[in-house]
Amino acid sequence: MHIPDGFLATPVWAALDAVSIPAVGYLARRAQRDLEESRAPLLGVMGAFVFAAQMINFPVGIGTSGHLVGSALLASTLGPSAAAVVMTAILAVQAFIFQDGGILVLGANVFNMAFAGVLAGYLPFHYWSAGRWRRFAVFLGGFLSVLVAALLALAQLLASGVPMPPAILAVSAGLFLVTALLEGAITLAVFQAIERIHPGWIRKPSPAGGRVTASLALAAVMLGTLGVLFASSFPDGLENMAGRLGIAGQARNLFETPLVDYEFRFFQSEWLRKGSAGLIGLTVVYLVCAAMARGLARRKRA
Amino acid sequence: MHYLNLEDWTRRSSPVHAREARVKLAALMVFLIAVGSAGRLPWPVAIALALLLLAGLVAARLPVAGVLLRAGAVLPFGLTLAVVTALAGDLGRGASLLTKSYLSAVAVVLLTATTTLPEILRALESFRAPRLLLLVVQFLYRYLLVLAGQATRMRMAAECRGGRGRRWRFQAAAGSLAVLFGSSRRRADGIYRAMLARGFDGRWPALAPKPFRAADAWFLLIAAGAPLAIRLSPDLPHLGAAWLR
Repeated sequence: MHIPDGFLATPVWAALDAVSIPAVGYLARRAQRDLEESRAPLLGVMGAFVFAAQMINFPVGIGTSGHLVGSALLASTLGPSAAAVVMTAILAVQAFIFQDGGILVLGANVFNMAFAGVLAGYLPFHYWSAGRWRRFAVFLGGFLSVLVAALLALAQLLASGVPMPPAILAVSAGLFLVTALLEGAITLAVFQAIERIHPGWIRKPSPAGGRVTASLALAAVMLGTLGVLFASSFPDGLENMAGRLGIAGQARNLFETPLVDYEFRFFQSEWLRKGSAGLIGLTVVYLVCAAMARGLARRKRA
Repeated sequence: MHYLNLEDWTRRSSPVHAREARVKLAALMVFLIAVGSAGRLPWPVAIALALLLLAGLVAARLPVAGVLLRAGAVLPFGLTLAVVTALAGDLGRGASLLTKSYLSAVAVVLLTATTTLPEILRALESFRAPRLLLLVVQFLYRYLLVLAGQATRMRMAAECRGGRGRRWRFQAAAGSLAVLFGSSRRRADGIYRAMLARGFDGRWPALAPKPFRAADAWFLLIAAGAPLAIRLSPDLPHLGAAWLR
């Protein structure tokens, strides 16, 4: 689900851009370090492959068909950081050339599909695909990559105050589930076909033994996603509970932050206050990141 | 593929085409922030922003109907959410969401119809975007049509062979994708060797680079200043009062 511009509230898109922009920089550097130089054309052509894969339809039944989304397949063949870079490139081309997803909210779409989606698609493969659970792990990777990305997008829309009646939420959750099951099945089928042609194209999974780590990591990703979803559908839950328990009156901020409740009180008008608070927050985060990067670079040189 | 008319549009010539990509990108970001930071866009502001975009389209000598149609790519998602919002009892908000997303999409098309992708990527590079990511986007864009053509031919071949039930066709599609995956990998190796042979040093040469002119500065001033002024106009009395106090 590609979110277009205009649907997310300023604090939501600004915060996700502030997370995604430095993260893409880090992942690109990491992917460049892990790979030989020849991989830049490879990653680009693989991105084009994912685009082209949409031309090939998988029959589902009742006259409908689906196609590969690809983040789990990319993660299990190129590795997670390279897959995240390829997915980011795909999302950028979709936003600029195909008007599929917005520019200002590119950070949000990258976070959902290129980071969370790739991670959720890669973890089951990495930890479980060495043993007899191999087929299930690949299926689960495809399934989770789509489900996690879609749920996060839904959570961001809810957090931005787009109202959704429970019936609509239930229908969209059902649709996401079906799409995710289909992606799992397609990923597994393509994965097995690739393995038959050339087993060397699939990455080596981690040797068995990381089952506890795997379960914990997967549980963390799922809990994080569901937690965000619930927090955004009931944004006032915590405040409501605090009010009921009577602790709201006693609660006091430890630090008097300048951007209390995401508003900057210099301006009279609503949007100027909220917008400027978001932008100032974004600038502060950017400056902190830039300072940290400079410090790290200096330490490395020393 | 439907992005081809976009490439044709970038080859036209107009005062907007002639501007430097960094300037256009900065103006686009200002426009998007002006629209995207609004909770609800007041109608006079929305209409003024739409007229500004229209002026941009006319100055860029672009087919107005074609651009508006292209930006309509956001409508399926936008209309669905707008209807949901209206069903939840907030028709005004739904209309505002739809307007904001459509105006943003038209602004993006205005940039991509007057600026080639290599120019945009070069501008992003000067804004310190990661080099590997930009290289990947370049390769992706260059080989998009090649691989899409190959995929279409494979699909046609599979259909000509005839289907033997859903399960078989599912497996055949998976097999086609695996073959496409393999040939893409081999193609990437070939591309890399050919590039090395031609002396590729990690960056694309700029074809006909545009120098920064005084006209670019004026364009930035107008194209970034106008949406900001329109957006802030309802707040100007408040700002003035705050300033005086």
